[in-house]
Amino acid sequence: MSSIITAKNLTKRYGKFTAVDGISFEIQEGECFGFLGPNGAGKTSTIRMIHCVSPVTAGTLTVKGLPCSIDNRTIKKTTGVIPQEITLDVDLTVRENLMVFSRFFDIPRREAKTRVEELIKFVELEAKRDSKIDQLSTGMKRRLLIARALINQPTLIIADEPTTGLDPQARHLIWQRLRQLKSQGVTLILTTQYMEEAQQLCDRIVVMYQGKILKEGTPRTLIDEEIGKDVVEIRISQDQDEKLIGSLAGFSCGHERVGDTLFFYCRDGHDIRKKLVELDLPNTVHRPATLEDVFLKLTGRSLIE
Amino acid sequence: MNLSYRVYHVFVRNLVSYKRFVVPTFIASLVQPLFYLITFGIGMGAYVGLFGGKPYLFFLVPGVLMSAVGLTASYECLFGTFVKMIHEKLYDSLIATPVSAEDAVAGDIAWGVFRGLISGTLMMAVAMAMGVFPVSVPAVLLLFVCMIFVGVLFGSLAMIVTSLAPNFDFFNYYTELVLTPMLFFSGVFFPLDNFPAWMKTFSKFLPLTPAVSISRAVFSGVYSTALIFDFLFIVVLEVIAFTIGVKLMKRRLIK
Repeated sequence: MSSIITAKNLTKRYGKFTAVDGISFEIQEGECFGFLGPNGAGKTSTIRMIHCVSPVTAGTLTVKGLPCSIDNRTIKKTTGVIPQEITLDVDLTVRENLMVFSRFFDIPRREAKTRVEELIKFVELEAKRDSKIDQLSTGMKRRLLIARALINQPTLIIADEPTTGLDPQARHLIWQRLRQLKSQGVTLILTTQYMEEAQQLCDRIVVMYQGKILKEGTPRTLIDEEIGKDVVEIRISQDQDEKLIGSLAGFSCGHERVGDTLFFYCRDGHDIRKKLVELDLPNTVHRPATLEDVFLKLTGRSLIE
Repeated sequence: MNLSYRVYHVFVRNLVSYKRFVVPTFIASLVQPLFYLITFGIGMGAYVGLFGGKPYLFFLVPGVLMSAVGLTASYECLFGTFVKMIHEKLYDSLIATPVSAEDAVAGDIAWGVFRGLISGTLMMAVAMAMGVFPVSVPAVLLLFVCMIFVGVLFGSLAMIVTSLAPNFDFFNYYTELVLTPMLFFSGVFFPLDNFPAWMKTFSKFLPLTPAVSISRAVFSGVYSTALIFDFLFIVVLEVIAFTIGVKLMKRRLIK
């Protein structure tokens, strides 16, 4: 695999505010690369620079060897963007939205008609072909955004929180479609706050926080390195901590107190499970470690606004 | 300035969405001139008698025609563009395609011009029905050229205002304090001859005044060399307004 996107010391400033603070990364052709992070971490700013709608303040950023700049029509021509906000043309129908968009890419009319019919089928909006946008549910609108992003048959797709605000059915349908695209060889860049989404779709992820990349790796290695295999959550009052930590000291687990809960992060949960049964504590949860644990550990558990 | 033929694509997008508004805008474009021409032309015309040997309506039509084109283009590039930019976020999806910010803004100005031409054409039809004709067929073509230039000028000026507007209310300053008063200082409803000298000079620098002069000449068939300067003035102003309008809009769209 060769790298399709290269960023070196990429920086984005809005006035005095630094949104992206000198990050470096490489994205390989055909992989799904995820940007994870809380609100305001700099994910959207980063991908806006990748698809050339926001100028790079400092550092270098190339897509397929071409430097990113807002006037780079070549990059835009082969990139599909699924935006975070629903930016459909509300004056037009589902079909017209796609037809009008095909113009912007200079797709010949006849070719566009075929593609539009295919895409409407792909996102399962056949019954809504001639409906106006305000007659669609949020899930349908998001699907139409995906279809719109595919009109130019892009080799790079950028999805900015594509399932925000959707019900589970709609979310799973979108995940399936994105995986389908990836299997066709498309490179996918995803930003998300949903850890399950990242685990479902991404080959590699970076965790961003305050404009910086904190960690990079596959979801599995990040979980292994940062958390381990198992997590034990014990809801217990704080004055019991010392005793409990003492009695579990032999299992080489990391621990963390958050609010009403004491967390243990363990390499091997087998023995600790036995010990927990022995201790017979109420309100204990023992579960496999997830990406969410990594995320919370790296970006802190306090509310970010 | 990163302009390309894609301006046309943006124009077509507007045309496709226009289908749904054709009827109300046609009615508005017809009723407005009727209102002006009947109330001022016939009502006031009865009091002011003959103007240069012809009824007042003949004085009124050329001016109202140009102001209709200018106002329609203005409104389209104020309210129409603002809705597309802020409420519908249309520009956000446009600039993610090979359409540049400049293409998008110029496409909207072109659309404003087209809307202005529709208003102008309807008004001309009404005027002709009332017996007011331009002197010849070539004169009609000249009139259309003039209307296109007026449309681009007012569309571009409106873009400057839109690029700075924090909300809808901001447009009131421009429409109430600039556009409406301008009608009275540009020789649309009455000649400027009786204005004091400083007001005459002031009105010469308003963008509508030269357009009204040209339009009036085309209707009456009385041409003078001063019209060349009027035309050049419009062109120069237009190039400046277009450049600033597009640049400011780009600054607002790209962050």
